[in-house]
Amino acid sequence: MTIVMAAIILFGLTLIFATLLGVAKEILRVDEDPRIEQINEVLPSANCGGCGFAGCADFAKAVVEGKAPCDGCPVGGAETAADVAAILGIEVVQTAPFRPIVHCGAKTQDKLGVVPYEGIETCVGANIVGVTQACAYGCLGYSDCVRACTFDALHMVEGRPVVDYDKCTGCGACVKACPRDLIELIPFKEERMLVVACANKESAKAVKAVCKVGCIGCKLCQRFAPDVFEVPGNIADINYEKYTGEETEEVKKVLDKCPAEILLYFGRPKLKHAEQLAAEKAATSRN
Amino acid sequence: MEISFATMIGIFISVVLVNNLVFQGFLGICPFLGVSRKIDMAFGMGCAVTFVITMAGAITWCIMHLILEPIAGRMFDDPKALNFLQYVAFIMVIASMVQLVEMYLRKCFPPLYTALGVFLPLITTNCAILGACLYIYMKPETQPFLNALIYAFGGGLGFMLAISIMAGIREHIRFSNVPKPFQGAGITLLVAGILALAFTGFTGIGK
Repeated sequence: MTIVMAAIILFGLTLIFATLLGVAKEILRVDEDPRIEQINEVLPSANCGGCGFAGCADFAKAVVEGKAPCDGCPVGGAETAADVAAILGIEVVQTAPFRPIVHCGAKTQDKLGVVPYEGIETCVGANIVGVTQACAYGCLGYSDCVRACTFDALHMVEGRPVVDYDKCTGCGACVKACPRDLIELIPFKEERMLVVACANKESAKAVKAVCKVGCIGCKLCQRFAPDVFEVPGNIADINYEKYTGEETEEVKKVLDKCPAEILLYFGRPKLKHAEQLAAEKAATSRN
Repeated sequence: MEISFATMIGIFISVVLVNNLVFQGFLGICPFLGVSRKIDMAFGMGCAVTFVITMAGAITWCIMHLILEPIAGRMFDDPKALNFLQYVAFIMVIASMVQLVEMYLRKCFPPLYTALGVFLPLITTNCAILGACLYIYMKPETQPFLNALIYAFGGGLGFMLAISIMAGIREHIRFSNVPKPFQGAGITLLVAGILALAFTGFTGIGK
């Protein structure tokens, strides 16, 4: 009898509160743009913050309000951009995915004036000390970027970070982690891109004193391929708006002639490049 | 229990300072430690809890005195026969009130809504609210409706006071040189304990 009564009372109470909440929901309804929810559904929901917003939901809101571009999600890439654009009813222009490159190619044995450092083993810590290696611009090699990567796409190889472009999503966490601003996101128009792997702004003599491979600012590349290369100061720079990732005759010549060893290809080797490499390897082993 | 102005003042001071739900009852510790990082957020949380606790106190009083007790008294000759229902019923009332507050805040104060975030729905499981509602039924002096309302409102204010003081102290702790073993949760719990100790100084005021 008690149980029956209890059930009846609770049922009645539930009914009352359900009605109350139902009415309140109608009165206090917030008119939210339904597109926010739709866009949120097509986003990767990794909440990595690579877009610059607090999470996927924030980004979705910003896109609808026009504060973020529809291809602003670096992780989702072109597919997500197309989905978002379809919801918003606009066309998306195909853009190249942004991927990180490292502006220091010096291996451990290339760096000069390295002194033992026994402080906190982070780049931020070593950067404050400042004298752990002679080059004040180069990679410190204490893996702050590797730790920042949530996609396991960065690894320390021979004293410098190497990006695994199969795993990289271009979220930019490593860019923020580097205390020397050596990592930059560039548009990968091809699967592999030419990179100036040096950031030393000193003159040729100073560079030679601290690094075996650093850019000496000889302006040779600018002379051979003025469309692609610029040397504004003592360091070469590649104009990624004009550089298409194609290996033109001029670029080949520059690669041949460059006295430093800082023009490196980053990214996945394309199929034809891979074949070329294999052929070269076969030729050398035959000799 | 007579309804007099003096009793009401006594109940109010008692629940805000002397028998503070957080410091003397050890209720609502989760939001007390979780949302006390910034003082404006702590105050917002305190306001939300005060509103929910007052509404829930009033409604649960009605449920106990107007529904459960009369029905039980008439059908089983024992007004306390259905008292086991109070837990389920009270939690339902609190959950509904939280939903209501959430909808209201989202409509009228979106910044506060986003600032409170996940802690707003978590008020549902804030034991200070359920505790206050159960105390109201247990204590002889809160049997009249007005006294119960004052007890509930005071309980909310006490929570707001506690969490605001805590947030103020924690804002200062962030800039102070805390010994390494005490950093983080350690110093927070120490401060909470010392605060509770300080509040025992009010013991003896009123009843």
